[in-house]
Amino acid sequence: MANATLQSAAAPRLRPLGRDLIGLALIALAGLSGYWLFPDNLAFLTRVISVALLVLSLDLVVGYCGIASLGQAALYGAGAYAAGIACINGITDPILLILIGAVAGAVTGLFTGAVMLRAHGLPQLVLSIALVQLLHEAANKASWLTGGSDGLSGMAPAPLFGVFEFDLWGRSAYLFGLCLLLVVFAVLSLIVRSPFGMVCRGLKEDPLRISALGIYAFPVLLKMFVISGAVAGTGGALAAIATQVVGLDSVSFELSANALVMLVLGGIGHLYGALIGTVIFMALEHTVAAINPFHWMTLVGAVLIAIVLFAPRGLSGTLDQIAALLTRRGGRAGR
Amino acid sequence: MQTALSIAMDAFAYGMALFIICIGLSLTMGLMRVVNLAHGAFAMIGGYIASWAGRDLGLGYGFGIALAVIGTVLIAIPLERLLYRRIYDRSELSQVLMTIGITFCIIGITNYIFGPTLKTIPLPAELAQPVDLGFRSIAGHRLFVIASGLVVAGGLWFLIERTGFGIHLRAAVENAGMARTLGIRTEIIYALSFALAIALSAFGGVVGAEFLPIEPYYALRYMVTFLVVVSVGGAGSIPGALAACLLLGAIDVTGRYLVPDFGNFFFYLAVILVVCAFPRGLMGRAH
Amino acid sequence: MNGTSFGRLLRSGALALAGTLATLSGAAFADTIKVGIIGPFSGPFALQGKNFQAGAEAWLAQNGKTVAGHDIELVYRDLPTANPQQARALAQELIVKDKVQYLGGVYFTPDAMAITPLLKQGNVPLVIFNAATSAIMNSSPLVVRTSFTLPQTTTPLGKAAVERGAKKFVSIVSDYGPGVDAEGAFKKAITAAGGEVVESIRIPLNTTEFSPIMQRIRDSGAEGAFAFLPSGPPTLGFVKAFSDTGLKKAGVKLFAPGDLTQESDLPALGEAADGLITSFHYAVSHDSEVNKRFVAAAEKAIGAPDLLSFPAVGAYDGMFVISKMIAATAGKQDAEKAVEAVKGLGWESPRGPVKIDPETRHITQTIYLREVAKDAQGRWINKEIASFPEQGDPGLAK
Repeated sequence: MANATLQSAAAPRLRPLGRDLIGLALIALAGLSGYWLFPDNLAFLTRVISVALLVLSLDLVVGYCGIASLGQAALYGAGAYAAGIACINGITDPILLILIGAVAGAVTGLFTGAVMLRAHGLPQLVLSIALVQLLHEAANKASWLTGGSDGLSGMAPAPLFGVFEFDLWGRSAYLFGLCLLLVVFAVLSLIVRSPFGMVCRGLKEDPLRISALGIYAFPVLLKMFVISGAVAGTGGALAAIATQVVGLDSVSFELSANALVMLVLGGIGHLYGALIGTVIFMALEHTVAAINPFHWMTLVGAVLIAIVLFAPRGLSGTLDQIAALLTRRGGRAGR
Repeated sequence: MQTALSIAMDAFAYGMALFIICIGLSLTMGLMRVVNLAHGAFAMIGGYIASWAGRDLGLGYGFGIALAVIGTVLIAIPLERLLYRRIYDRSELSQVLMTIGITFCIIGITNYIFGPTLKTIPLPAELAQPVDLGFRSIAGHRLFVIASGLVVAGGLWFLIERTGFGIHLRAAVENAGMARTLGIRTEIIYALSFALAIALSAFGGVVGAEFLPIEPYYALRYMVTFLVVVSVGGAGSIPGALAACLLLGAIDVTGRYLVPDFGNFFFYLAVILVVCAFPRGLMGRAH
Repeated sequence: MNGTSFGRLLRSGALALAGTLATLSGAAFADTIKVGIIGPFSGPFALQGKNFQAGAEAWLAQNGKTVAGHDIELVYRDLPTANPQQARALAQELIVKDKVQYLGGVYFTPDAMAITPLLKQGNVPLVIFNAATSAIMNSSPLVVRTSFTLPQTTTPLGKAAVERGAKKFVSIVSDYGPGVDAEGAFKKAITAAGGEVVESIRIPLNTTEFSPIMQRIRDSGAEGAFAFLPSGPPTLGFVKAFSDTGLKKAGVKLFAPGDLTQESDLPALGEAADGLITSFHYAVSHDSEVNKRFVAAAEKAIGAPDLLSFPAVGAYDGMFVISKMIAATAGKQDAEKAVEAVKGLGWESPRGPVKIDPETRHITQTIYLREVAKDAQGRWINKEIASFPEQGDPGLAK
């Protein structure tokens, strides 16, 4: 398997590049049509984008490295709090805030990765939970810095490029978020197809074989953790800028678990699976909760069960199967 | 000294309550390789049934426990046949997704039937009384939990290590294909051990209700605690689970006594250290 | 091709979303005034959300759905746990899409903080039914609050506790915003009354095993204990442990804000809470004509009588305030005028006489000292034993 993966990496790169461009264009199109179709729901759509960044970052770890994590929100929350604290202390440029969030996420990724890579399987999952709970507790304790359970409020991010304000209608926040998503998605597409990304996949499929090639797993996986942290931190910072409040929920086990559910729903190991999962799950939650706020949980549960029974590889996996049937190309490299 | 003894007593009772609830999960995860996040939901169903039996039917505590165990298993059997059977050999992530879905459904339905309020399980007079131990008084119920935990641990050890069923189960776990060729009906073995795990969770839900009160969000609220305990002990190991429950119970209780402000820090730091030192759990089996 | 499917999925999902939203808002007439209510209608705090709904619907049932010739329509939005990002999204959608003229509800402080920056631009007042941190009122002049703050309900407890013969106290609070507020307020009140807090303990929110805490209380040698924990499992565990470990029998007196003995928790607490002294702004058993009528209507709305507790009265009074705002602006959307109109407004609420403080826009009310006891029918209630009229929010008074 790993061999096939490595070979396909060496295959001509033009075609995947072309496909990436088409994919990006479609995301942009979908995003813009969201803008035109739902001009009154932009705050919700911005929230979807920031969570999509979190789920993408989780996909890097779970889908490409095979590391189970129920603590990804630690990285997201670190980005959100870093951006929030910076904003309150006078750094108000949104792009700078996003960078701060990404760096904070990456640093947190470095630490959590270093701890999590010490175990495998279930104990690893538990380490991730313990880490996110620890950070949650720290954010609650340091209320002088983070606002504790009352939330960090009072941010006033400057208008984007000095022109576009983050206001009630949320247009600039949404378009800003969409651009961020496109940039991140493009970069990640390149990364997962790079030799480095292939080694990660190989480590997931057959660690023994990769180590026989003389590759030491730890630094490779740690690097992916750092990248994942930067992506999650970007999402957190976007949320902080758009909402102007950071709550303890952004470093919670619940958010991490939700992210994992969205990822598995969309299908792991595909970047676009992460996007589909996020959009479908959040749209479902949003609609069902609006129709009947009192009993939506049962329905969401039923949908999750149905997905496992009828779309075992997640929605994107099922789409792939359909696409493969239609075009007889079966383009699932690396499996 | 007196204080230390007193704390130790509390820690022991708390650890035992955790053990009774978690051991079923440890069995499903270690022996059947199913990450059953809905385990707590079954404990909760047990608690609800016992509460209903005690408060609305006026049955005694013992009958309540029996009814809870039987009722929960009866509810779980169709779920096993229809849902769990499909995920036995699927990836862990599918199992996580499915069992979270089941948990959500159970929470939604209990909320609908029983309402969102806390439910208590009436204790018989003997257990509700404080018992004087000389150096302190302890709720009689806690002694009952400790005794139940010891009985469960001993009984399970005997069942798995010393009976024909245990041999078949271990064989099915080591190599299902080989066990089948030898004429062991693995499907039945799996169904029985699943039922056993559910029965234990229901029992734990009832006797542990004084520690973890019964309400619809029980299943999610303590999911992390259960997962942590099982993994620290090493999935599938009875002595491991026992050790983990006693260790984590002790850390939790003494941490909360010595530095209540940082109780959670201690608990999770301890978890991280233990997992890093014993990546397979305290007494986990090598795969 | 993957991208196409993705786009299609997104669009179909989005269309489904649009469809449902359209059906929800389709019935709008020109003179229907919409009130958006955000609360925890599902999740671990669903009980509180149900009480919001029961309170609001009790008000409509008693006063009709028309105010000064304008129909009122309530639009509920679910926000299960504290989540500022979702709160902002919901509020934005209610303001921009559903065109609500008033926002109400809000259970958690961070959610309120995320909504307040939108009010001015949206020209919408926010009437808070619960979220109880003092600072919210300063974050926007368009916020009015009909609930309480912890300093407000806790302060009278100080004097009452010292009067009951205890001098040395230990305070135990859950380690989060409201807990820290309660701890501070109690300490101040006790010191002012001539007592002393010998030890302040903060415990994590998810604590379920309280015996070690009880041991701390025992070791501290205090004669009285003050506790604040959020209602639900922690409360039950705490009160049970207090009686199980023999502290109650040993004569340690336990005092708490009324959150600890919410009516919906009382059946579960039962005997263990007997005699517990709390201070709060509302007891379901409050003896007045207005309250009897309110309880009858709210119990009908909520379905089961033992679910009713304090958030319902916040919502009921909140609806009253909103109706006054609608009358004052003759149905026109004018947030500033609406808020201006209710400043200083006083009325007889189910909890007793109340008034919106013109300075702080927070509710001034009577705080009652209550004792957990059985009523004539054998139900556990919070029996009012003393009252402290016209209490403002000490957290806001500067």
